[in-house]
Amino acid sequence: MAFRGRRLETATVSEDQGGFVRVLNPGHGWGIASFTSLDELPAMVKRANELSNAVRLDEPIRLADVAPQTADAVLELDGDVRGVPLAEKKKLLDRYNSAMLAVSNKIVDTQSSYRDEVSEVWYVNSEGTSLYQRRPEVVVSGTAIARRNGDIEKGLESIGLRKGWNSVQGFEERFRVVAQRAVDLLAAPRVRGASYPVILDNELAGVFIHEAFGHLSEADFVYENPQAREMMTLGRRFGKPVLNVGDNGAAKGLRGTLPYDDEGTPTQDTPLIKEGILVGRLHSRETAAKLGERPTGNARAISFRHPPIVRMTNTYIAPGKKGIGFNDLISDIKLGVYACGAFGGQTMLENFSFTAGWGYMIRDGKVAELVKDVVLAGNLFQTLDRIDHIAGDFTWNQMGGGCGKGGQFPLPVTEGAPHVRIEEALIGGDV
Amino acid sequence: MIDRLLESARARVDGADALWRREEQTAVTFESGRLKSAGISEEAGLNLRVLAKGRMGVAGTTAAKPDPKELVARAAASAELGESVDLAFPAPSPQSLTPIPTFFDRTANASLAELIRMGRLLVERLARPECQVNVSVQREVADTAVGNTAGARGEYRATGIGVTAEITRIAGDDVLMIYDQYVGADLPSDADLETLVRSIETRLTAALKIVTPPDGALPVVFTPAGLAAVVLPLEQALSGKTVLQGSSPLAGKVGETLFDARLSIFDDPLTPGRPSSRPIDDECVPSRATGLVERGAVGRFVYDLETAARAKTQSTGNGRRGVFGKPHIGYTNVLLRGGDGHVTGVPLLGGGLIADIQDGLIVDDLIGVGQGNVISGAFSHPVGLAYRVQRGEVTGRVKDAAVAGNAYDLLKRIGGFGNDGRWLGSRWSPSLLLDGVSIARR
Repeated sequence: MAFRGRRLETATVSEDQGGFVRVLNPGHGWGIASFTSLDELPAMVKRANELSNAVRLDEPIRLADVAPQTADAVLELDGDVRGVPLAEKKKLLDRYNSAMLAVSNKIVDTQSSYRDEVSEVWYVNSEGTSLYQRRPEVVVSGTAIARRNGDIEKGLESIGLRKGWNSVQGFEERFRVVAQRAVDLLAAPRVRGASYPVILDNELAGVFIHEAFGHLSEADFVYENPQAREMMTLGRRFGKPVLNVGDNGAAKGLRGTLPYDDEGTPTQDTPLIKEGILVGRLHSRETAAKLGERPTGNARAISFRHPPIVRMTNTYIAPGKKGIGFNDLISDIKLGVYACGAFGGQTMLENFSFTAGWGYMIRDGKVAELVKDVVLAGNLFQTLDRIDHIAGDFTWNQMGGGCGKGGQFPLPVTEGAPHVRIEEALIGGDV
Repeated sequence: MIDRLLESARARVDGADALWRREEQTAVTFESGRLKSAGISEEAGLNLRVLAKGRMGVAGTTAAKPDPKELVARAAASAELGESVDLAFPAPSPQSLTPIPTFFDRTANASLAELIRMGRLLVERLARPECQVNVSVQREVADTAVGNTAGARGEYRATGIGVTAEITRIAGDDVLMIYDQYVGADLPSDADLETLVRSIETRLTAALKIVTPPDGALPVVFTPAGLAAVVLPLEQALSGKTVLQGSSPLAGKVGETLFDARLSIFDDPLTPGRPSSRPIDDECVPSRATGLVERGAVGRFVYDLETAARAKTQSTGNGRRGVFGKPHIGYTNVLLRGGDGHVTGVPLLGGGLIADIQDGLIVDDLIGVGQGNVISGAFSHPVGLAYRVQRGEVTGRVKDAAVAGNAYDLLKRIGGFGNDGRWLGSRWSPSLLLDGVSIARR
């Protein structure tokens, strides 16, 4: 369901179904078939088998062992969305959308959306694994566009949960706050481009660790690339001892949580950086076998239209010492930037760029004026190494949208982090 | 299928239109120089829109044998919540649709072995020590049928082929990635593949030496690939949707010359041999070209049926729909032209625009394009792939630099149009030389 401004744009109910078959014959490559016509299943198995045989390999593909699993993994629906009338869903979204529009007459446009889904996934393989999984999901998102003369600013709110109807009630205030911020940004100056000490808020720190580091820890990036493997050698120092990073697909109740991945491997908490040292990476069965490591349950596909590839689940920067708060991070900064929220982020391997939703200058150890167009750019290795303080105020940030890789978007993931300080980072803006 | 569905809709609602599409894809992928997988995908789906008591509703399904009654009931339920819209489905076109080649037998009939041969040719030609080569070849055959209760019908078959090649070179902590693609409706010739190889080779060779980036407001050549940050704001602002919503800075400026007088931008669904071309749009509106920017002046905005109805204008034939959502505005082939449009054989880096640059950049890829407040025109991105130009020559690759500017301001004065015009996905453009782009280095 989607609103644009005051108008309901769409309200639809869809049903999608299909299948995916992968065949790996000894000495051959993957043969793959995806299809929407389930009647065709036997024919598709045959096609996938033929395709596998058409790909000859000198060096065979091996898969790391995973003990056969049999389970019904049924996640809690928390208010089954299928029982809620469309009109009720419209009312809920209308409330959040109206909360944004009511902030000011400078809010010229909004985009709000509500989406829920219950997927039922059956997975079987020829080694004896047989799984049934029920995965609920609900996402409410809103964008408020503020305009004054030619200036346009926006504020975003997004809540994405692997739960149901009960979990998305009562968020009016959060939508009001982002609309108010969009209005405030109209009058805010652009940040002056330069290198500063930078504090990332929980949300941006989470997006940062996912985008800038998480993707490099996906083993399909290194497993067939000796130079990349060297760059990502386990034991290499990536940061100061305060830095601990991991990915936990088994964490309770998060959007990136799954009992089993899409190859039938149980998910787990995988440490990636421990006290600044690279200690692990994320695997599918194929990448684990190739590198002689253990599968981590990170092979995921967004739907039956795609093969499982190595993906993150719930990626986090672990909290620093209890009691270290935001104020401890900024008290000795004369001039810096507090970068908050995330409009987006992109990495090209060791280079990254993140657009913060908004920011504040830090002056003489205190948060000062609101600034806009805060774009954080840099080199991953330098930036990770410049993380010198991590607060104890960890939160998971459960947004909608998701991660994109190899044409598969959006994959539900979660990011979590406390406030993080980077000694020095490049902030774009007016240059 | 469409006829039965529309028949069923006629009995229950005031009007309807529908799209049926069946797609078959065959893909082969080469990872790190070796053939890794071969796959097919088959998908068919039906999208229905209804008008009931002046309200619009939508439903879609991928079921193999969809029940027309059930789909109509679902669309009608969706319409009960919808806002009213004064939308009329187009009547059958008095002229026959413009015939354009969208279907190529040899693309449709290319064997798996032929797709593998093309991929292997690229892998072999691109192989270099210390470099990883990933290649994919994907072929698609799609059948589309559209129809509405006003009696309009359209049907066409289309082929598409996408060949991508990416070379990754890691030296210490320096990661260099160079990408290129061939996208067309017809199979690439070996000469086309050779052009792709040369394009990657040229950029790789010039990138081996790393030099310090310049600093300040300087001339920058945006290659067809690097141009996205500059074109994206225009594409958003020229959409009838953002105009209607009041968020387009170009709203109310039709006919005003806001850009360099040599610049023209068209949306042209009738370009022969392109996979985005089509004789009719997804809402039964016959295809025609739209002048978005004509000799520097703001031309037409693009519309689908609903946005046009709300804006009290006509659809430009830019309706696009998938199986599940409602139709929306989409560009087909976007062509950016200017200068004499001259294209030389295998282009040089910079499209012949660097001779007079004392100090500046060639930008081939920026990181984070599409993030942030795109429609405002302001952009600020670190470079993904960029080269320094000094005294008219490329001196090496720059890292750790960011470029910033405002697309609307920069396009007011274009320093030159390159001789390297080409397709990249569904956009055709040459390189552009733009002056006074802010460059910051770390």
